[in-house]
Amino acid sequence: MKFKDQYQFVSQNIKKNKIRVFMTVLATAIGCAFLIVLASVGFGLHDSILKETMEDRAVTEVQVHGRETDGNYQPLTDEDIDFFESLEGVKAVTRNKQLYQTPTYKLEDYQAQSNTLVSHFPSEVKAGLELSEGRLPEKENEVIVGYNFRSNLLLSDVNQEELYNDQDEPKDKYLYQDSLIGKVMDMEVIQINDNQEETKSISLKIVGVTEKPGREWEEDRSVYISNSVLKEVEEFTGTARGMVDSPGGEQQGPELEIGAYDQVTIYATSIETVKQVSEQLETENYASYSVISEMEQINILFTIMKAGLILIGTIAVLIASIGIYNTMTMAVTERAPDIGIMKAIGAKPKIIKRIFVLESSLIGLAGAVIGTIVAYVISFAVNIGLPLIIESAFNEELPPGLKFSMIPWTLVLIAVGICLVVTILSGLRPAKRATQIDVLKAMRREV
Amino acid sequence: MITVKNLYHQFELGKKGNKTTLPVLEDISFRIQEKEIVAIKGRSGSGKSTLLNLISGFIRPTQGEIWINGTNVTELNETDFAEFRLQYIGFIFQNFQLIPSMTAFQNIELPLILKGTPASARQKIVEETLEKVGLQNHKEHYPSELSGGQQQRVSIARALVLNPPLILADEPTGSLDSETEENLLHFIEQLNRDLGITFLIITHDEQVARIGNRTIEIADGSLLEGSDSREI
Repeated sequence: MKFKDQYQFVSQNIKKNKIRVFMTVLATAIGCAFLIVLASVGFGLHDSILKETMEDRAVTEVQVHGRETDGNYQPLTDEDIDFFESLEGVKAVTRNKQLYQTPTYKLEDYQAQSNTLVSHFPSEVKAGLELSEGRLPEKENEVIVGYNFRSNLLLSDVNQEELYNDQDEPKDKYLYQDSLIGKVMDMEVIQINDNQEETKSISLKIVGVTEKPGREWEEDRSVYISNSVLKEVEEFTGTARGMVDSPGGEQQGPELEIGAYDQVTIYATSIETVKQVSEQLETENYASYSVISEMEQINILFTIMKAGLILIGTIAVLIASIGIYNTMTMAVTERAPDIGIMKAIGAKPKIIKRIFVLESSLIGLAGAVIGTIVAYVISFAVNIGLPLIIESAFNEELPPGLKFSMIPWTLVLIAVGICLVVTILSGLRPAKRATQIDVLKAMRREV
Repeated sequence: MITVKNLYHQFELGKKGNKTTLPVLEDISFRIQEKEIVAIKGRSGSGKSTLLNLISGFIRPTQGEIWINGTNVTELNETDFAEFRLQYIGFIFQNFQLIPSMTAFQNIELPLILKGTPASARQKIVEETLEKVGLQNHKEHYPSELSGGQQQRVSIARALVLNPPLILADEPTGSLDSETEENLLHFIEQLNRDLGITFLIITHDEQVARIGNRTIEIADGSLLEGSDSREI
């Protein structure tokens, strides 16, 4: 018996019991829609969080915090940097040292106190450092400043109360208004010798301003100096990183190794090589962190969540399958005489079984298709309606681009697959019963 | 065509733990040649229908062998017997056994569908078969819209549609009036003559038995002495 004939046979049978089959398809569709919509929440939130993570930080970044030796973390030195640069898949290794005092920067009548970092500019360029204006330093006394450095640069002869407004923000009129590029400012560092504060002034030329930080709440007010400027500071203070001695003659901060870096970031050539680089670092006992590894954690968490939601949704489909079982059992009972006649004239049990399994599969498929369409409509409505409801009810603005529900094609495949498997399984028992119908009893209408 | 050797059959009665057996056929042996019309005659409860059901494979014998067209059908499993029935045996039942939700055309087409005949070929074969039984104007009628005689003709057309060498008929005239019965018997004779189909007819009716080349009589589950069984 050809498939087309089986299909025609089944569709004739379905037409005979339109209402009953429609109700069963409806139950399956509701079950399937419930499964998809429920799981789509997991998919939507997962997608939103991943996008947020990807947008915030460079995906190819691997931050290295130190190396574990004999149970202790050792700071990273040039030797480690050389090793990182030798690794396969590494595009650049940027490294920063922190100046362990906050110098005062003076530009004309304005002054600022800013965090100062020592950067290796060639590696920053390789890593793709972008400036909002100007260029990268080429000479020893050239520096770049953070995008928000200007907010620190305030008129020096105004008293503190006058400088700030009610929100504790500096008033615009006291901020430096001209372009910073090409301006020479003095960096004043201090050291305490014999309880006397000594000051050293180093002239620095601003040649560039960094790009605006990615997130609105982030600010970059730092000054990025070169290694030679750091050496000048260290020579003056006589301490590593320009650390200021306390009046008693002791250092105020932690013990520091000269040449050790505070922040080392490896940039991989592509997303695919991040994992490879991280694994090599792990083998060599380096403590590292990458967005990819964080994403793995997020992925694991959401995969478990999605699996859980799909499982709960499957219960709805299982409930619908009871309807299919009932419908198919009734169909077998009603058609028992016909089955008997078919068997008598030569229908193999396999064909009888296939006809009934096909019928339950068609019910399942129809339910899955309708359920999927309904789920897409619900998902669309939820993504539009829910933010509006939340915003009006709780008066809170939701992050832009947040998706409550997302239905990827994989979810549709999973849901349709589950629906089909469940419906086929629920149709199997009645189908088997059909094959076991006794020909003589069926023809005598005794079944 | 058909050889039945030392056939025994008994029904099991009662429920588990309290079963009894009821012998219905005992030591039945006979042979039917190709192109014969053989009537198996007997009273109600004599076991003649059981014999037909055993030959049809609807029930399995307790003991003995049935050979049809060189195949020991008692050894076939359910699937193989279904295939065998489709290829070699046509059935005519007392109550016609037509599927009520199918038209005359669809009922006749059913064996062709089960055999996997393409739809294009089916149309022609069914039309021809309908013509043979004189029902070409009733092909779209449902069984409920046909008379008893017409329904039986549809049933015969369904049995004929795959050109089987053997047709088993169980009380084929049981539900027909005498005039229709007469016509049907002529038709069976004509099919036997023109197409060489072997008929095994189960009946209690003398008139039906008369069209047979020979009659095998059965009483209380055994062949009556003097029955023309063409012993093996």
